[in-house]
Amino acid sequence: MLRLLQRTPVITPETPDEALVRRAQQGESAAFKALFERHVVSVRRFLRDLLRQSDLADDATQETFARAHAQLVKLADHDRFKPWVLGIARNVAFEARRVRQHDVLEDEDDGTPSAVIPSPDPERVLLDAELEKHFTEAMGTLSANRRAALLMRLDHGLGYEDIAAAFGWSIPTVKNEIHRARLKLRAHLLPHLTGENS
Amino acid sequence: MSRCGRTAQLEAVAMGETSPAVSMELRAHVKQCALCRHELNWLETESAMFRQRAGRDEVAELWKGVEKRRGLSVEPRSWPRVLVAMAAAAVLLVMVGRAAPQQTSMATDSFSVEETLESSMLASPAFLFFEPSEPCSKLPSGVGFQCSPVVPASFLASR
Repeated sequence: MLRLLQRTPVITPETPDEALVRRAQQGESAAFKALFERHVVSVRRFLRDLLRQSDLADDATQETFARAHAQLVKLADHDRFKPWVLGIARNVAFEARRVRQHDVLEDEDDGTPSAVIPSPDPERVLLDAELEKHFTEAMGTLSANRRAALLMRLDHGLGYEDIAAAFGWSIPTVKNEIHRARLKLRAHLLPHLTGENS
Repeated sequence: MSRCGRTAQLEAVAMGETSPAVSMELRAHVKQCALCRHELNWLETESAMFRQRAGRDEVAELWKGVEKRRGLSVEPRSWPRVLVAMAAAAVLLVMVGRAAPQQTSMATDSFSVEETLESSMLASPAFLFFEPSEPCSKLPSGVGFQCSPVVPASFLASR
């Protein structure tokens, strides 16, 4: 009876990840589900960008959260759920890639374009279907590792320290990889952003 | 990438990670510096593309797969305690009301009508304060009674 009367704090959108992680670690499934709902969109998009197949991304997303649930007790930094779960997602994606033996994990060429690239007008960028197609193609030209690092930084807003921790890289390596990824992406997108090809 | 040495700061501005004061200061510099302007244009273009893409994701049904893999079950959200208490009190009062001698018991024919009304009005607390006022009268034929439904005045007023 006392157990029934015990108040469980209500989970709201303002409940911080840190509190949810603590509660999930104590076995509260609703807290883990709240973490899932909060981060599943990011994780799924990250995996789709890495795997480039929606059905694979769906499966990998479920696997990522299943592993996250299994290993949650190990997460000591309770406020770093997002970088932690994206790190798991990266491992899941790379395992899937090895199974499929498609992409290379590392870039073979480091001959990133060094010429000065004209700059686009950010206020005129409209990501229509055509541009999104070129964007996806451009992302596909990056190695899986480099792409993952770029996505973590640009799409998911992780800091260089978090990315370094997730990859087991040094911070300068992360910066260098993201820098090279950006140059390659820009070179690929430029004609479509400035209308040079029309 | 900007040879001006401010790439990291520009990136923080494009990602919305700086304070408004720092952002203003850097933007003032960008107006004067072609290299930084070029870099910030690219950074903001990239951010804009990622942002626009982010709004298009669908993740319906994925939780079920996680539940299945981990054998999780999330308990349905319990009713607010106040509502539960109110419902319990209402049920209790109705049961007490039923146990008390019914003033309209002489009209046996009316029971089913009252039952129907009672069940449809249980939701209203007004039901608990009805005022019986000559609920039954003799039929025009002179045999038996016809009973008008017992509807509390307060309930009618609320309509």
